[in-house]
Amino acid sequence: MTLPEFFGCTFIAFGPPFALFVFTIANDPVRIIILIAAAFFWLLSLLLSSLLWFAVVPLRDVLVFGVVFSVLFQECFRYIIYRILRSTEQGLHAVAEDSRITDNKHILAYVSGLGFGLVSGMFALVNLLADMTGPGTMGYNGGTEIFFVVSAVQALSIVLLHTFWSVIFFNACDNNKYVQISYVVGSHMLVSLLTLLNAQELYKTTLLINYTITIGTGVLAFRAAGGSARSFKRFITCQ
Amino acid sequence: MAQQMKTVAVWFILLLQSITYGERTRDKMYQPIVGAACFRRLNGTHQIGCSSTYSGSVGVLHLVNIEADLDFLLTSPPSPPYAPMIPPHLFTHRNLLRLKEAGPDIISVVLLINRNSDKMTQFSHELNCPNQYSGLLKPNISESATCDASNPPNSWNPWGTGLLHQDFPFPIYYIADVNETQTLVNCFEKFNNFDYESHALRSLCAVEVKSFMSAAVNTEVCMRRTNFINNLGSTKYCDPLEGRSVYATLYPRNSPENLTTEVPRSVNTAEKFILVTTRLDTTSMFDGVGLGALDSLMGFATLTQVAHLLRQLLPPQGSLPDPRRNVLFVAFNGESFDYIGSQRFVYDMENLVFPARSTKSTPISFENIEFMLDIGTLDDITNIKLHTLITTPLAQDFLKKLNNYASSPRYGFNLDIQSDVGIQIPPTSAQSFLRRDTQFPALILNAVPANKYYHSIYDDAVNVGFSYANTSRDYISLIDVSESKNYFNATALQMKVANVSSIVAFALYETLTGLQYTGNKVANPLLADEFLYCFLQSADCRLFKASSYPGSPSGLPLPPMRYISVLGGSQESSGWTYRLFGYLLSQPQPSVAKENCTNLPLHWVAGINGTGECRLTTQSYMDALSPAFLIENYDWRSGKYSTWTESTWSQFSARIFLRPSHVHKITTLTIGIVVLVISFCLIYIINSRSDVLFDDVPASNAAFSRPTAC
Repeated sequence: MTLPEFFGCTFIAFGPPFALFVFTIANDPVRIIILIAAAFFWLLSLLLSSLLWFAVVPLRDVLVFGVVFSVLFQECFRYIIYRILRSTEQGLHAVAEDSRITDNKHILAYVSGLGFGLVSGMFALVNLLADMTGPGTMGYNGGTEIFFVVSAVQALSIVLLHTFWSVIFFNACDNNKYVQISYVVGSHMLVSLLTLLNAQELYKTTLLINYTITIGTGVLAFRAAGGSARSFKRFITCQ
Repeated sequence: MAQQMKTVAVWFILLLQSITYGERTRDKMYQPIVGAACFRRLNGTHQIGCSSTYSGSVGVLHLVNIEADLDFLLTSPPSPPYAPMIPPHLFTHRNLLRLKEAGPDIISVVLLINRNSDKMTQFSHELNCPNQYSGLLKPNISESATCDASNPPNSWNPWGTGLLHQDFPFPIYYIADVNETQTLVNCFEKFNNFDYESHALRSLCAVEVKSFMSAAVNTEVCMRRTNFINNLGSTKYCDPLEGRSVYATLYPRNSPENLTTEVPRSVNTAEKFILVTTRLDTTSMFDGVGLGALDSLMGFATLTQVAHLLRQLLPPQGSLPDPRRNVLFVAFNGESFDYIGSQRFVYDMENLVFPARSTKSTPISFENIEFMLDIGTLDDITNIKLHTLITTPLAQDFLKKLNNYASSPRYGFNLDIQSDVGIQIPPTSAQSFLRRDTQFPALILNAVPANKYYHSIYDDAVNVGFSYANTSRDYISLIDVSESKNYFNATALQMKVANVSSIVAFALYETLTGLQYTGNKVANPLLADEFLYCFLQSADCRLFKASSYPGSPSGLPLPPMRYISVLGGSQESSGWTYRLFGYLLSQPQPSVAKENCTNLPLHWVAGINGTGECRLTTQSYMDALSPAFLIENYDWRSGKYSTWTESTWSQFSARIFLRPSHVHKITTLTIGIVVLVISFCLIYIINSRSDVLFDDVPASNAAFSRPTAC
């Protein structure tokens, strides 16, 4: 049994999101509700994508087609959840025990982004994790041993990216920064299409580009949320 | 995202399984292997056979070409547990016991592959003394008196290894298909067969066999667990070996019984039977493999042909010197497992329940049996002996008759049947009768053992040298002695069967009529040809078609399974035997039309032309379930009756894949834990000092909680 492999990959992919959840979400019921709602909206986008995939019979084998439309649906639902959250702000303000959630608009963006990311990462990995519990590993019929680890790392980057994208996206929508919105959609598309290269086992290339984009997006999100080089410096130097 | 798209596909597989398709990672990881598994059987005291662990046994493939390869695995296995792939010539008693001793930590699976099978010189998994603990036993010891197990060369199966009666702690899987074997060998060569020092550090090609057996210990324990009162559920752990024996009389019996009366059944002492018997079943170590060509099919073919010949030669019963005489042919099932069929027959005859009430004829008891002629194994027909316990005039007389025909220049059989008197009688059905009463007049026709593949998967058409002549000629009519030599040469298997059948049938003819047989007609070797083809190569054959109802579905193009199996098992061979007896041993009724030929004993069969004909049949089934399972509170350890049961199982499967090394597993887990711990620390720090990070936001509006000390 390769239970160690199973737990190793689970920890890699869901360890950081779990830590985020524990420290920043779990102690506020409103945030938990918003997280779940966001996850539900991601599932709706998946449902639409799959319906489209199912309806367009001749293109079922063409992964690119599905990928492109899936990304577009996800971004649409990101916008929908943005509209919903903004329109329910008054209500949230009334029920929330912690007023920071409505005072600081980035918190809602961050929570809904994490919800998006978590369910997306879960769907990406869960059927692989199910196969991981068996006695075997990849490699008999093609594929490499590190396939599972690579998938887990990839899933982690998707979770983080979704979180960052939502922060940037919500902020851009508030301020009508169309360039940032198009960056979110564009980088999402790029990352998704990059994973198609995994069929050629170009794991190093895709992971490298993926994480470069993740870090870049992270920096953008950091700035959007109010961070700056100065504050980062102060954080590092413990001032 | 590609993964997301995959999940899209999975999503729909859930919804619309029938329309969509999808390739799972699992499909890339595993390759199923087709084969036959060894399974567990239990008797009153022991369990034999194999079982995997509950979730499946996994072992690293290792090809064994020479014995040194096994030594390597057993003395210094670099990354145990291993699954040695053993060619038949190394699948010996000694090697298997060494593997068993090594234990499941070193050897977890054994694969028997069909490679280098030309080097194999013998392959018998039966004991040196088949049915050693039943039949005629030594006084006060539960061991066979008729066979000396301590002296294998002089035993009834000198090449026996007894592996069939060993209990193995690992599953054994037989891979018959050469392509599957090649797949295994390729995987071994590609991933395992180099740099053995680093075996522990890298992924290796491994096999997983699932053949978990739910029964354990012995029949007593398993029957107790299966008992509804004890387990409060319907779980079955084992089933008794159970099949059907087939019997038929030469002439229809004329001894009706009144069904309506409630009085005990009584025997019609006027009836006299000559019992001609043989064994119907065979066995092997692996599920569904094993034809038993030489170990039992030869005798069975002979019995069928004797019956057919006698039916055609003999005048009507009324014109016999003693018109109350009849011949009862019985093919016993389950004889491989301590004489299940014949034990039951003896038990039923003692209790006056044979034949069943539904046949509407009086029961047959031992008083009705004039003598018994048992046909055992006929490995080498030039070396057949007539065995009896003691010298009797009957035996001497019958032997004389046999030899009269065997050596007669008229027929040119050129055989000589020896007499063998003494306690060393072969392990055949007659032992069940002699065990009840050593005075029972049993004559046993048995050749000197020469079968190196007794009860094995290799006892097949090749072992008996059978090649189908496929002549499309009339195989039903008797043939002239001069013509019979036209189709086969003298050493052909078909000729051997026909010749022995003729000799036995003529001797029985003389016994019944009191006259020497002087005709020119002999048994038809073409019938033997068709019979052997049906049982050795394909049940979709002329003889089976001719003996079935016209237009009924033909048999599978595979030989019928002749293992006794359990209740609800296929029972193919007894079914075909029933139909064969109904065709070959019945009287044609040309005057009866099809619509009047519906009630037994009348039976409508296709016949050789397939047009259909009405037959007056005599054959019937008889349960072959050991009396041990009928007697209440039977003492399972008494050894009186066969107690064999077969464990239940849920599946037999095998697949190969790459087994990750420990290093790989530990590395993955370690990375996971490190990532988890680091992320917890990092996010705790970020969260606690978020106001410093996001300083553009007013302090009162800080996204996260108040800072603590750095």
